[in-house]
Amino acid sequence: MSALRLLSSAARRAPAAFATGRRGYADVADKLKLSLVLPHQALFTSADVVQVNIPAATGDMGILANHVPSIEALRPGVVEVLDSTNTSKKWFVSSGFATVHPNNKLTINAIEAAPLEDFSAEAVRANLAEAQKVAAGSGSEEDKMEARIELDLYEALQHALGR
Amino acid sequence: MSSATWRNVFTYNKYAQIAARALRQSLKENERVAAEKRGVTILRYQQWENGQGGQQVYLNPPEETNPKKSAAV
Repeated sequence: MSALRLLSSAARRAPAAFATGRRGYADVADKLKLSLVLPHQALFTSADVVQVNIPAATGDMGILANHVPSIEALRPGVVEVLDSTNTSKKWFVSSGFATVHPNNKLTINAIEAAPLEDFSAEAVRANLAEAQKVAAGSGSEEDKMEARIELDLYEALQHALGR
Repeated sequence: MSSATWRNVFTYNKYAQIAARALRQSLKENERVAAEKRGVTILRYQQWENGQGGQQVYLNPPEETNPKKSAAV
């Protein structure tokens, strides 16, 4: 009974378009093609990676090869890229979109992103205090909303730098 | 995106620009200087009529800079 269930689950797991057949449960035969682009710089252009962790607005996600096509808006957070040698690289992105295309391609668009080493903890702390003051103050609704958006980013950044 | 009420006030574009500006302001000193330049946008427009261009107008006029003090006294 369990053997039958194992067989049917294996058949369900293999994608229909995969003509060459066998795929081990543990290893990943396919690579994800990642393009992580900013308006001023392309950090990755169709690079082969194994896994990408993204801070989606609906929650953190890990994207592997053969992911279902999806579009996710990103919140300020850390994008982590794991390549085939299992080395992880992290960038903090300000916001943007991650799009998984049908042919194993992942495109992440962001306006600003930088590796975690490029941030200054004191600057973040100072900016956080400033934004808290404006958010709690008596300015216009727009100013307070702006401060709240910045607050989200600074808190996420502090959390990322703290770890 | 956790304070999702900004949607009542801003467009997504504005939200993205605010977040990008906040990120730029948190960088270390030398990266920040290069990054701040990316945040600057300047727009000039000009009305054309009958093949004649009108006055070129800055969308946001640049601030008047004080004349630099000369080194010689």
